[in-house]
Amino acid sequence: MKLKPDSKVLIQGMTASLGSPYIARMQAYGTQIVAAVSPGQGGTDSDLPVFDLVEQAVAAVGAIDTTIIFVPPYQALDAALEAIACGIKQIIIISAGVPPLDMVRLLRKAEANETIILGPNSPGIIIPGKLLLGTHASEFYTPGSIGIVSRSTTLTYEIALELTKAGLGQSIAVSIGSDAIIGSSFLQWLQILDEDETTEAIVLVGEPGGNSEEAAARYIAEAIDKPAIAYIAGCHAPAGKHWGHTGTLAAVVGRGDNVGTAKSKLEAFQAAKVPVAERPSQIPELVKKALKKK
Amino acid sequence: MDLLEYQAKEWFREIGIPVLPSQRIDRPRDLKGLKIPYPVVLKSQVRTGGRGKAGGVKIVTNTIDAIAAAQTIFNLPILGEFPEVLLAEAKYNSDREFYLAIVIDAVARRPLLLGSTQGGIDVESNPEALQQVVVERDFSPFYARRLAVKMGLQGDALISVSAIVEKMYALFVQKDLDLIEINPLGVSSTGELMALDGKVTVNDQAIARHPDILMMAEKKASRPNGRPSVAQVGKWNEVDKSGNIAILGNGAGLLMATLDLIAAASHRKPSVCLNVGHGRFANGGLSFCDRVIQGLELIAQDKSIHAILVNILCSVPTTIEVAEAIAAFVQQHENKTHKTRSHAQYPRLVVRLAGTDLEAAKAQLDAVQVLSMEDLDEAIAQVVRVAKSSLPKRSE
Repeated sequence: MKLKPDSKVLIQGMTASLGSPYIARMQAYGTQIVAAVSPGQGGTDSDLPVFDLVEQAVAAVGAIDTTIIFVPPYQALDAALEAIACGIKQIIIISAGVPPLDMVRLLRKAEANETIILGPNSPGIIIPGKLLLGTHASEFYTPGSIGIVSRSTTLTYEIALELTKAGLGQSIAVSIGSDAIIGSSFLQWLQILDEDETTEAIVLVGEPGGNSEEAAARYIAEAIDKPAIAYIAGCHAPAGKHWGHTGTLAAVVGRGDNVGTAKSKLEAFQAAKVPVAERPSQIPELVKKALKKK
Repeated sequence: MDLLEYQAKEWFREIGIPVLPSQRIDRPRDLKGLKIPYPVVLKSQVRTGGRGKAGGVKIVTNTIDAIAAAQTIFNLPILGEFPEVLLAEAKYNSDREFYLAIVIDAVARRPLLLGSTQGGIDVESNPEALQQVVVERDFSPFYARRLAVKMGLQGDALISVSAIVEKMYALFVQKDLDLIEINPLGVSSTGELMALDGKVTVNDQAIARHPDILMMAEKKASRPNGRPSVAQVGKWNEVDKSGNIAILGNGAGLLMATLDLIAAASHRKPSVCLNVGHGRFANGGLSFCDRVIQGLELIAQDKSIHAILVNILCSVPTTIEVAEAIAAFVQQHENKTHKTRSHAQYPRLVVRLAGTDLEAAKAQLDAVQVLSMEDLDEAIAQVVRVAKSSLPKRSE
């Protein structure tokens, strides 16, 4: 993942109701937005060059590092395929509610083209003080050395706020998105944070559903050198409520009833000897302890 | 959205999956015009499982028995659900019963083909017989044959079963399904296959791009016994009916974290969590602040709720705009209370806002005497205290 402040960024779906206010916020944060693509509005007179096609944007401004997709959910697959066809290797999908089978098609294509997809239903990535790729509310963040990887949006702000209040700034915060089928996983982001020079400790924020926290716990034990701590929201949430059909699926394919529950996730982190915070406000204390041990 | 069996079978028939001759029965007297020869199986059309055991399936041999049985089934709730229609279907003698299904595996992020030669009600008790094939790349019929081979099928059975899986896959993609299941798939002594029961779940996020399914969904939503729709305001999650605290927040993760904190602080879970979503999305045309106000109104209608914790991390819109919305809600209710000279007839509010311009936001809430704070733990302690102390107030 290339996350330099001078990375060239494209916006797809500029006129989608949610796109435009965030463009100004990203620009104010210093993100180098070089063009926008909005079919039917190419050539519109504005500060930002607007094109009908991604290939026109690439021809005019040169290679693009990252595209951020704001289009309505049923158009997200097409927008991402267009970006892949133009050689863009980093795609962030902000749009929520992309149909699962669209994601299956997209991920098959992205994997074959070595393209990383973040989201859908993700606020993107923030490198506090340097780079904003998405809709993160930057006021909750402060520059520092703690990496955050989560599945949600506002809960990520909550964790950042707790860290900020305790004098612990953040290196990178990323949410992998909360639609049923998403692109990049916890594992990929743990690896990125492990390799990132600024990051000294990692906070992983999980939720019931799926098995990505369990996989992350094993991965931390095996492959992550930096101190990591975890927090799982939803320990008291009614079972199955937040993860729709994967619940019945787990039963059908014989993975056992406990897969995906908060309990199973807590046990996985305990087995991996990863400290688990009981509440958001306990996270800074655990991070400080973990940093001291190092 | 779950389809009823007769709807699933209509789709099966259209795509060429073998189903028995059947007829939809809207009222018992429809059976007088039955075109299927007896014996006939009458099946309650409900979305819950276990209808056979509950008495929702009856075999009948003549019109008089059929009408009597239909009356019984129409009046029999299964897990609280009354059937709106029945399905009358020819009886089938199967020699063996198979299980076939396709789901999306959220872990592999691919469709997953499932099959077992021990179908029917036995499928769950024989998980080791259940075979799986991940459709890694673009689908091609060999994935279906791979499943049939794994199931241990040979010769004609291999070909005929994989042909059905192929058609199931076509439906799965065409209709944006989360699940398509045939259980049991009857196998006759001559090797003929028949889809005897079917389950189909359409992905909720994809419904809007299928006009035919959207129509079915709208019909379902407008049924008199359907739950009222709060979809415009947000996602309404009932947690614990015995609880007396409601949470209104923006974001599922944040709500779950807040729920945990309340459960830990009071040994009692909140009653309801209402997620009004993110500022970056406009749900059903309502702005974020409108969703907050409407959400508070919805919660206030529930007399068992004594306190509401509003937990919102603001950016777009700002803390000031959200505080204004909450103040507007309070004032409207205070006016009403004043007019009727009664005690406050809405739950007590504790507001936790985080973001910029907090002091100005707090001043707005102070003006309408609503407790507000930035610290989450403090807000939790407050709302638990308020919920306890306001018990008598609501019952006065």
